[in-house]
Amino acid sequence: MRASYEWLKELTGIGASPEEMAEKLTAVGLEVEAIHRFPAPEKVVVAEVRAIRPHPKRDKLRLVTLFDGSAEDEIVCGAPNVPDPGGRVLFAQLGAALPTEEGAPFVISERAIGGGPSRGMICSESELGIGAGGEGIFVFGATNAPTPGTPLADALPVGDAVFEIGLTPNRPDCLGHLGSARDLCAIYGVPFAPPTPPAPPLRAEGAVPPSDARVALGWAEGGREVALEDDAGGGGGGGGERRRAGGGRERRRQRRERRRGARGLWRGRRVLHGRRVGGGRLRERGARGESEEEREEVRLATAGETLETLDGETRELTPDDLLICDGEGPVALAGVMGGANSEIEDATRHVAIECAYFDPRSVRRTSRRTGLHTDASHRFERGVDPNAVPAVLARAAQLMAELGGGVALAEALDVVAQPHEAPRITLRRDRLDALLGYAVPKDVPARVLAALGATLVSEDDAAVTVTAPSWRPDLSREVDLIEEVARIHGYEHVPTAVPRVRPSATGTAPRIRFERALREQAAAAGLFEAVSYSFVSPAELRAARAPLDTVALANPLSEERSVMRTSLLPGLVAAARQALRRQAPEALLFELGRVFAPTGDRLPEEQPRLGLLLAGRTGGWIGAERERDFYDLKGFLEAVLAPGGLVPTLKAGAPDAPWLHPKRQATVQLAGRVVGTAGELHPEVADAFELEGVRLQYADLDVTALFAAFEAAGVPQAPALARFPAVTRDVAMLVDDGLEAGAVAASLAEAGGALVEDVALFDLYRGDNVPEGRKSLAFRVTYRDADGTLTDKRVDKAHAKVRKAAESALGATLR
Amino acid sequence: MSDALKAFEDGLDEVEASYREVLSGAADEPSLRAANAKLVGPEGRLTKLLKLMKSVPGDRRKDLGQRSNAVKNAIKELFDGQLEALAAAAREAELTGPALDVTLPGRRPLPGRLHPITRIKHELMDVFTSLGFDIADGPEIDTHENCFDKLGFPPDHPATDMQDTFFVKGADGNVDPRTLLRTHTSTIQIREMSRREPPLAVVGPGVVYRRDDDATHSPMFHQLEGLLVDENVSMADLQGALQVFLSRLFGEVVEVRLRPSYFPFVEPGAEVDARRPGGEWMEIGGCGMVHPVVFEHVGYDPEKWTGFAFGMGIDRMAMVKYGVPNIKALFENDVRFLSSF
Repeated sequence: MRASYEWLKELTGIGASPEEMAEKLTAVGLEVEAIHRFPAPEKVVVAEVRAIRPHPKRDKLRLVTLFDGSAEDEIVCGAPNVPDPGGRVLFAQLGAALPTEEGAPFVISERAIGGGPSRGMICSESELGIGAGGEGIFVFGATNAPTPGTPLADALPVGDAVFEIGLTPNRPDCLGHLGSARDLCAIYGVPFAPPTPPAPPLRAEGAVPPSDARVALGWAEGGREVALEDDAGGGGGGGGERRRAGGGRERRRQRRERRRGARGLWRGRRVLHGRRVGGGRLRERGARGESEEEREEVRLATAGETLETLDGETRELTPDDLLICDGEGPVALAGVMGGANSEIEDATRHVAIECAYFDPRSVRRTSRRTGLHTDASHRFERGVDPNAVPAVLARAAQLMAELGGGVALAEALDVVAQPHEAPRITLRRDRLDALLGYAVPKDVPARVLAALGATLVSEDDAAVTVTAPSWRPDLSREVDLIEEVARIHGYEHVPTAVPRVRPSATGTAPRIRFERALREQAAAAGLFEAVSYSFVSPAELRAARAPLDTVALANPLSEERSVMRTSLLPGLVAAARQALRRQAPEALLFELGRVFAPTGDRLPEEQPRLGLLLAGRTGGWIGAERERDFYDLKGFLEAVLAPGGLVPTLKAGAPDAPWLHPKRQATVQLAGRVVGTAGELHPEVADAFELEGVRLQYADLDVTALFAAFEAAGVPQAPALARFPAVTRDVAMLVDDGLEAGAVAASLAEAGGALVEDVALFDLYRGDNVPEGRKSLAFRVTYRDADGTLTDKRVDKAHAKVRKAAESALGATLR
Repeated sequence: MSDALKAFEDGLDEVEASYREVLSGAADEPSLRAANAKLVGPEGRLTKLLKLMKSVPGDRRKDLGQRSNAVKNAIKELFDGQLEALAAAAREAELTGPALDVTLPGRRPLPGRLHPITRIKHELMDVFTSLGFDIADGPEIDTHENCFDKLGFPPDHPATDMQDTFFVKGADGNVDPRTLLRTHTSTIQIREMSRREPPLAVVGPGVVYRRDDDATHSPMFHQLEGLLVDENVSMADLQGALQVFLSRLFGEVVEVRLRPSYFPFVEPGAEVDARRPGGEWMEIGGCGMVHPVVFEHVGYDPEKWTGFAFGMGIDRMAMVKYGVPNIKALFENDVRFLSSF
């Protein structure tokens, strides 16, 4: 919403500066987000046209002789609307600096136009930055034009400031100037006296609307051209040619409107419906409001009924849509857009003015269904003032007559479904004070509420009772009044207290704390956290071989983000790909986020998962560089999970993870539970993500299962620390290549019996001196007796069993 | 017997005569220890010699025993002294010798990093936990009731429009107008109040979604919702809670300002601005007193209980704190970005 400072000043009589006014408006919730200014440029003066002659060389240019108060000069001008001699225009002299949208001013200098010199420029309003006036130069009206030589600043009331107000949807009354003006008066404690034109006598005629609505209809008869454009905002752009009105007052209004960015004269009054009565139809049928054709009907559409709206679309209607009809049929989709048959044209001489209140919900539904969000629907769906209908109608007719030079006809129709009943609301003082946290002075509530237009019903020490003003649909219960009192009295009166927080016995759910701990451990282990969009494309999920039974968005922004992810892989791979393409040596990433699966119920299943992705090369300035491999991933997994006191076990094979390399995949178990999968990405998956030849290591863990495993395992308990020294013995052997090192170690440990504390692999070798199909493994076996110092003899005995088991049970050749 | 005696005496003479030279010749600790072992180690000359003591005639044993011990002690004394001297020399050499090339690249253990959004989220969680709030969460896809209706949005409110809110498709492939991607974390308020009895104090951080995608808007972003419900909670408490929280977050006492604003689920409603000493006002988020209609929807008695709620954008805080110029950068996962904080 844009509001003119000058206009607010005129309505309130408050002389504060624009800055102060903006601050006050912001302080009561009408946030002024910007102040636009339209200062008058210097060296622009009123000039009189003395003569016009065609340009000798160019068809579209003319040579205009101007008198700027001191001298005459001939100027080249290309505008189509240069007035006849005697007409007055605005003339930018040499050196005038005109504002531009880019910021740097456009300085008028002597230029050659069409072969001859031109010293100065005849200007339009937009060139001067004082309005958004249409085509052509600005021309003063025939009467009361300022004398030549008058500076622009004195010739026109320029220099207004326009407030850009970020209006909240609860304040439809502030969609016009009256609402903000009323708030300002309440803040400053001055009486508010809005202009009240005489209302025409209203005849209650026509069918009563089927839903909550009130429609009044009046007429104006154009004396000359009628300066109106189409009403509903969605129509074909600029509307008709506007007539330049004569008097200063009208000019001022026009200029204010344009500065606000409004496209036509009537934009400030969206409740108006100017009707086309072209072709003299109304006149033929009797212009004075007496013939039967002047019926007003508000009714619901019938199924299959159609209406061509102002935007040229033929709309199919439903019985939920409200229509305005005249004697011949529908002329408007109530509160949303007028019918094409009601458009005002240049030749229009008679206008029916309709002013209405509609049930906001009805307008909202029609607006949503048709996808038409118009200026009209914007206002009606927030709620206009039902009681203001006759007054607004009268004001519209009055303005139309003044500005268009027409005549407002004296009578009007008014149909009301149900009279507006102002809610009666009681404000308890103790409740007010308790909610705001301070003792509001006794006189404040009634004063504030009255200033905002509420009618005082009663007031005593305990409470104030009022009826709410009809233009404030947001006021219906006590707390609404509390907010009004707080707002106008000023939030700055609210003191600062330290709240009493009663902590819960249970505290934050362990599940939530666990997610945090996991993230922190992953970062501590050396991984970088990614946050990806939760929506992906089905193609990405296919490429990732992720589940394709997805939760799909009904209204996605694009195909790329049209379904909820079923895997973290697409996001992580994209990040890794980006890293490698930008020549990062490696990408060590994790993400903890939710994946989504349909359930058949209303809400899908949301599963928190932890994804780990490694790609690239490792190695520093000492040590060999190599590509990150499966064992890096396994190491990271252990590092991420170790602080909980559990070591993950990897079992070969991950049948439910088709995205993994068939020979380099594992199921991850934690304390006996399956918690996820880990492995190298299937080369075809890497190919599908355009990472041909890149080996990526990916682990996908179910956070809920991890949490369950840690919960079941409980807090790690202090172990009995060994008091006696350990003895280590090494054993090296050749075994079949297919034998898992883990199985070998387990066999050795079992064979060694109770003295074996640990069996750790320290060497793996294939190649020279090792036969094809075999590998060399070397283990370090740690022996310890918890109850005494081991003797060599006992260790030798146990180790002999280990060596023997290797040979007999594992088919190993000891080395 | 005299052979044995002679051999012993000769051996002892020899050890006595040579040990100084042997030990003093060692240039470093390992060679000193090796030399020492040759004398008094398990296979050392003196050790072997002493094993012959039992074949020495009885009348000489005492005399030779004393002499042997004296030699042994002398060796030990010299060894200890040499050891100390060598250590001192090594120390001296290190302290006065050539310096390290400190410009060689470090061997980094390379810890990872949390995402800036997570870092801010954890900071907020810490502050609120310290104030006595519990952390809560809720589903990212929620019902129209939890996201709008129970919060007091009127039916057909513009915010509930397809224009602004992502809806999901039902099992039949059509739009399910009752299921949507939550547009704010205020759903967490409703869920917490629906499952717990007052008093309660919770904050809920989480992902939210809106159909906005331009230079300054991301269709996915993060919010933190706060809620306190108790008896006699006032707007002064709200202001105080925000003041304490923001001061802790910024690490200095900040000024807090409430400006009237409108959110359907609070009244009075406000925008929160904060200002650090000497700084500019910053918009922090929205807040207000819980609207009685919300209490009615979750079955709390609005006459008995009052409360405040607030919400703020986590992404924006991360952008301010870490100087991120564009919200999109938060979701691009550029490793150079992720490793910067």
